[in-house]
Formats: sequence, C-alpha cells, structure tokens
Amino acid sequence: MENFLQQLLNGVAWGSIYALIALGFTMVYGVLKLINFAHGEVYMVGAMTGYYAAHALGLARAPSLLGLAATLAIAMTACALLGALIERVAYRPLRSAGRLAPLITAIGVSLLLQNAGQLVFGADPKFFPPLIESREVFRAGAIAVSNIQLAVLSTAMCLMAALEFVVMRTRFGRAMRAVSYDAPAAALMGVKVDRVIQGTFVLGSALAAAAGVLVGLSNPKIDPLMGLLPGLKAFVAAVLGGIGSIPGAMLGGLLLGVVETFVAGYLSSTYRDAIAFVVLVAILLYRPSGILGAPQLEKV
Amino acid sequence: MLAVPLLELSNLAVRFGGLTAVAGLDLAVEAGSLAALIGPNGAGKTTAFNAITGVYAPSGGSVRFLGREIGGARPFAIARLGIARTFQNIRLFRGLTVLENVVAALAGAERSGVRDLLRGRAWREREDSARARAVFLLERLGLERLADARANALAYGEQRRLEIARALATGPKLLLLDEPAAGMNPAEKHALRELVRRLRDEFRLTIVLIDHDVQFVMNLCERVAVLDHGEKIADGRPEAVRRDPKVIEAYLGSEAESA
Amino acid sequence: MRRALVAAGLACAALVVLDVLLPRLLNPYYLTIASRIGIAIIAAVSLQLVNGFTGQFSIGHAGFMAIGAYGSAAASVYLGAGLLDGLAGVLPAPLARALYFPLPLLVGGLAAAAAGLLVGIPTLRLRGDYLAIATLGFGEIIRIGILNLDAVGGARGFSLASPAYPAIDLRFEGLGGIYAVVVLSVLAIARLVHAGGGLAFRAVGEDEIAAESIGVGATRVKVEAFVVSSFFAGVAGALFALSEGYIHTNSFGFTRSFEIVVFVVLGGLGSLSGAIVAAAALTAAPELLRGLGEWRMILYSLLLIATMWLRPQGLLGRRELSLPRWRWRSLRLGARRAPARAQ
Repeated sequence: MENFLQQLLNGVAWGSIYALIALGFTMVYGVLKLINFAHGEVYMVGAMTGYYAAHALGLARAPSLLGLAATLAIAMTACALLGALIERVAYRPLRSAGRLAPLITAIGVSLLLQNAGQLVFGADPKFFPPLIESREVFRAGAIAVSNIQLAVLSTAMCLMAALEFVVMRTRFGRAMRAVSYDAPAAALMGVKVDRVIQGTFVLGSALAAAAGVLVGLSNPKIDPLMGLLPGLKAFVAAVLGGIGSIPGAMLGGLLLGVVETFVAGYLSSTYRDAIAFVVLVAILLYRPSGILGAPQLEKV
Repeated sequence: MLAVPLLELSNLAVRFGGLTAVAGLDLAVEAGSLAALIGPNGAGKTTAFNAITGVYAPSGGSVRFLGREIGGARPFAIARLGIARTFQNIRLFRGLTVLENVVAALAGAERSGVRDLLRGRAWREREDSARARAVFLLERLGLERLADARANALAYGEQRRLEIARALATGPKLLLLDEPAAGMNPAEKHALRELVRRLRDEFRLTIVLIDHDVQFVMNLCERVAVLDHGEKIADGRPEAVRRDPKVIEAYLGSEAESA
Repeated sequence: MRRALVAAGLACAALVVLDVLLPRLLNPYYLTIASRIGIAIIAAVSLQLVNGFTGQFSIGHAGFMAIGAYGSAAASVYLGAGLLDGLAGVLPAPLARALYFPLPLLVGGLAAAAAGLLVGIPTLRLRGDYLAIATLGFGEIIRIGILNLDAVGGARGFSLASPAYPAIDLRFEGLGGIYAVVVLSVLAIARLVHAGGGLAFRAVGEDEIAAESIGVGATRVKVEAFVVSSFFAGVAGALFALSEGYIHTNSFGFTRSFEIVVFVVLGGLGSLSGAIVAAAALTAAPELLRGLGEWRMILYSLLLIATMWLRPQGLLGRRELSLPRWRWRSLRLGARRAPARAQ
C-alpha cells in the first residue's frame, strides 16, 4: 500500500511535468491545427537556460526558493522569446501551405534545435545545480515526500491555474478560444489572429521552459537531446486528453505520468518508454478525439 | 417499367449531433427516368446524395437500390453496385491525366497493382481495352483531344464533363449529378441539357440531379422533388411543382438573394 | 526477346564490375557509402509508395527496416548458417552464396510485410496528422520491443556471426548483389505505380472520397500500399544487416524515419526518380562532408526548412526524370509508340 502511494506520488509529479509540456502542444494545435514537433526542444532549452542562469546567479553555492523563482522566470522568458521566434520564422510563412509543409518544417526545426543544442551546449550531460536543498518534508511510514517534489507539484499546479485564468478570464484567452474554434470568423470579428497565435506560442513555450527547470530540479542530469522523448510523450498526453483541449492536456499529462510510473514500478522498467506509445496507439484506434475531445466531421 | 423502383428512399433521415439535415424523406426513382432534387441552399440535397452513396450512414429510414437495402454500406461497395456520382465541388484526380482519371474508374483497372508485376499478354490486352473504352467515353463527352492533359489544367466546363466521363466509366445504372450546371453560362447549360438527355438514352441510365437553377431543371427533367430544411415539400411533374405555393415560398427568400 | 538478352548481358557485366573491379579500385570506405546509398534508395522508394503516391503520411518506416534487419539477421544466424554450410559443401562457393543470398532478404521482407499488415489495418483508418503520429508510435514500439529481446542481442546489438558455424561468413558486402536488389526493387515499385492497377494508389492519394465513389476501396488500397512498402523496407533493412554485419536498434529510431521522410519530401512527393536522387545525394553528402562534424545535421535541417519555404513540392514535384533511352514512359499508362484509337 505504501509503495502504491509512493508510486502514485511519483507518477503525479512526472505527470504534472508532462502536463506542462502537453499544454503547449494542445494550445498550438488548437489555434493552428499544427503539431509543433519542436516543442520538446523548447523544453530542453528551458532546462539549459535554467542551468546557465542558476550558475550565473551563483545559486550552486547558495540555493534558495527565491533563486528557484528567479531561475524559472529567466528560463520562461527566454523560451517565450524562442517560441515566438520559431512561430514567426518557421510557421507563419507557411500558414497557407496546406498541412504537410508545416509538419515537415516542424520536424526540421526540431532537428535543428537538437543539433544546434549539441553544438552550443556541448553534447555531454550537465548537472543542474540543486536550487533548493533537498529535505524530507513529510513522512508517513515508508512514504517520503521531499520538498523538491512539493516544489515541483506546487509550481506546476500554480502555473496551470494561472493558465486557466488567462484562458478563461482574460480577453486574450477569449481571443485564443475564438481562434481555435474558427479562425476566419474570429478574424472577421476583429481578433488579431497573428497576435493570438504568437501569444499562444509564447505561453506554451514558457510552460515548457518551467517544466524543463522543474525537471532539472528533480532529475539533475540534463543534455541537449533530453527533449525528444518527453516531447513525444507529452504529445501523447495531449492526444490522450483530447488535442486542442486545455483541461484535456492537464488530465492526459497526469494520467500518462501515473500509468507510466506504475508500469515501470510494477511490471518492468525497460518497457517504460514504450508505454506512452502503446497508449498513443490505443487512443488513436479507439477514441482519436481523446478523453475530453469532441469528434470531428468532414464536409463532403 | 420495373415493378420495383430503381432507387427508393423511405423515411430517410440524416442527423449530425443536434442538427437534422434530412428528415423523413420519401423518394422513388423509376428506372430510366430523369429526375431532379431541388431546393434552396442548405435544404439537404447534397446530404441526401451523400446518404445514398454511402458517404454518410443514414440516421434513420432506408435506402433501397434495386430492392436491396444499401443504407450504411461503404461508398465503394455502393459504387460497385451501380451508383455513380459527381460532386458539387469537383473532385477530380488533379495530378492524373484526363485519360488516367477515366481509366482509374474502369472496373477492370481498379484492382490494385500487385498482380501487375508480371506483365503477360493478358495484362497488355486488358490495358489496351481499358484504354480504348476510356477514349470512347472521352469522345462521347468531347474530351478526347485532352486525353493526355493534366486534369487540373482543364477549363471549368471541361472538368465537369470529365467528372461525368469518370462516373460513366464505372458502368452505372444510376447516375447522380450534384450541381452539374454550376458556374455555366446559358449556352453551356443548354449543351449540358442535351448531353444529359443523350447520355440517358445512349447508356440506358437513370439520372437524378441536384441543381439550383430551377429553369434548367424544369426544361430537362420528368420528375422534380423539392426539399426545404431537410423535408420534402413537393414531388411531381415540373409544371405542377413550379406552381406549388409551398415551393414558391421556399424559394422566394433565396431567389431574392441569388438574383 | 533480343532486348531481354541485351538487358541480361548488361546486367551481368555490371555485376562483374561492381563485385570484382570496384573493390580493387576503391577504398572500402567508398564502398560502404555506395552500399548505404543503395539501401537508402530502397528505403526512400518504398516510402514514396505510401507517402507520395497513396498520400498517407507515414513516419515510422525505420521500424519496418528494423524488423527486416533483425529478422534476416536472426534467420541467418540461427537457421541460415547451417543452410549455407550445407550448400557450400555441395556447390562451388560463389554459386552457393549467390543462391543463398535472396533467402535472408525474403525473410526480412516478409517479416516486415507481416508487421506492415498488422500495423496498417488499424492505423490506416486515421487521417493526416493522426496517421503520422500513429506510425511514429508504432515505429518506436517496434524499436523498443526489439531492444528488449535478448535473443537478438538487446542493448548490446546483434552480430551476424553464428557460434555454431564460426567459419561461415554470413555477410554479403558485394555491391553487385546489393545493387541488383536495388534495381529490382525500384523497377518493381515503378511498375506497381505507373500501371493500370497502380492508378488505384494514386487515385486514393489524390482524393479518397472520389476514389471510393468510383468503386476503389480506399482502406484496402492503403493497406496494400503499406504492406508492399513495408516489404521493401524490410528488404532494405536486411541488406543493411547483411552488409554491415552488426546491427543495433539505434540505427532504426525515429531519426532514421525522419531521414527517409526527408529524402521523399525533398525529392518530391510523387516522384520516384526524385526520391532516388535525394536519397543518394543526402546519404553521400554527409559522409563525404564528414569534416563538417556537428554542422552536418544542422545543415541538413536547415536544408529541410529552406526547401519547405522555397520549393515545398521538392526537387521534382510529381514528375519523373526523363532519361530518353530508359523509356520511363513505357511504364506509364497508354504511352505506346502509336496511340491506339478505339476501333
């Protein structure tokens, strides 16, 4: 029982990371109907930026919560800019080029960032400095909750709540939802679609960056290729929850994290990575619109 | 006259979630006839066609072809039973040549090619006769000079005729034409009228068409059914239908728009 | 008849050149590049059938190559070594090897084709992006599955050497054999696509709904294309295993799938010759430009992005290179010397 709860906790922690990244996928898909393959790399850049920022701020020697907040802020800002740049340079010129060209370009951008990352950051793994000292906060029998896990969970929850607020209660959020339902109609209503799309990329990238820093916090070993697999898994999470649906991304991320952790814990850890893909295939075959998504029709 | 109508719709309904596109449609089409389905925009005409050809499964009611229930069958199976169609927004195989568009539809050529790897004499003969048949159909529609042109290089009217040639290549008993006269000027419409009559006689077809142009339809068809908001409001000979007050009222609003 | 004899004669001459002369003239490094080019060509051309002609965007091709590679390698090591040993005892060695050579290829191809059927049937109901992601997912499932199989080496990789028959050389590095398979594969796919029945593939690729309206079962055609494509991917994988002598699942990840997609897209979706040219150029160039080191992949990705901006239809779009003496046209429908008129 205790093992079960511990696994559950780990699963939720990982799941919230996936959820943060998945939100970026789902928002971009909502407004552009595009799978942003490069999103996983933005998460990697977030982790890397956090690494350099933490060192620059001298946090390796003096960890603190404030330092964590500062690192988050810096990484999120940097990646927000990166996201806007990617949108402007790689996707906007191809807005009218059908579905295939943007997809291929997304793959190209992803490859570019991975390899540029290897060039710029060096291919060797780096070790994220401990931004807050690891302490056990809570113990119930054999279950240990560290302050790092708490930090990860609470940060993730706060960010998701903030996003929910932006999407539901602000004008920008309303504009974003309008564009995702019907972009031409939104444009006719005076919504600046280009701005909304750019803003969507900015938000999604900032969240991915936060995920990167949080991962650095809990699993310190980072490298330029770290974005590949989590990126794909987060995409699976988005599809699981219903691509285009923000609550879906959150739900999908948490579910995937929990399922993955349980399978790795109880069955076999070597199949851990395959789980996401099995889930993906199962979802696409039985309910392509995802848990919270709505089925789509094609007009003949 | 056949005892059983070639095509029979009974209480056909098509619903999309909360939207009812077609409701309680009864229609009987006799073999060899030239009928039309008209009605204002959004009346459900193309949806009815789609339900007949299998693109949509009926939400209720039945579709019977030659006495057999075909509602809910896959489109390709329905096509092989003998129902061919054209589309409102032309759906040609744009990257293929005119000839290839037609050959693709010939029954003999539609088997996928794995067995083609060995090209024996039987294969060659099949290919030659397919080609000959395709050329014949193109001639019938006045497109033989364009046989090797890319389909998307054709003029609009030629594209519409190519779609008809392709539909004919399947050797259908029933031909459904969705807005065949759209975008045509009066001279072209006249030519199309003659073409449709000629095709019905020469290929022994039954033809049902959808069109907006009430005039065009009245001068061509023997039977007209009128849909409005998914329901049939009139059905009979053209002269009777054009005078039906319900039909006039249904069109009054949209006539003002399209004038 | 005379044309067939001439063709056979040329083929034999080519084989002699490739297998005997070239190894004496060229550095083994170049020979390796040449065999990798051949394998890339088969991979690209087989993917073109699905992505370019049938219009289904599949990005899990490396998974089928993996099955072909590992299937043929396992068959070679566990079954083939004994067979080859037996053959070599009865026949002169070159003949025995020549007779044996197609077998591992067939095993790899058929295994991959079976996988293609299993993957294709459920997946090909999906459209566009969803199909792409599903194929990506399956590719990864296959790779991770193989990675966990100890019988074929698991994480250590798999060597093409049979412990029971250590003296038997299971490797086939000869360019002649490799390119014979390349030529046959390309011809087979070209025939499939540019013929009467092949129109079904292209019709489905152009417009599925229209294809169904003329009686073409879209799902069946898509599955057929997928299975054929997987077969040849398996053959390519098998060739890779036979020529390299050592395989590891790292060679068959989604990076490899993406590379093949790049060949097909840059060459032009719908052009076989385009895929061939792109596969050859993009396989050779990075090897020859090895001095660029890490910049190689960066250039690669920039090239991909630039192509999407400037020329999204790729090098040749849908057209084929017309080499006048080769008579591509004779493979296409209705292009006989004198157009036949209906009698």
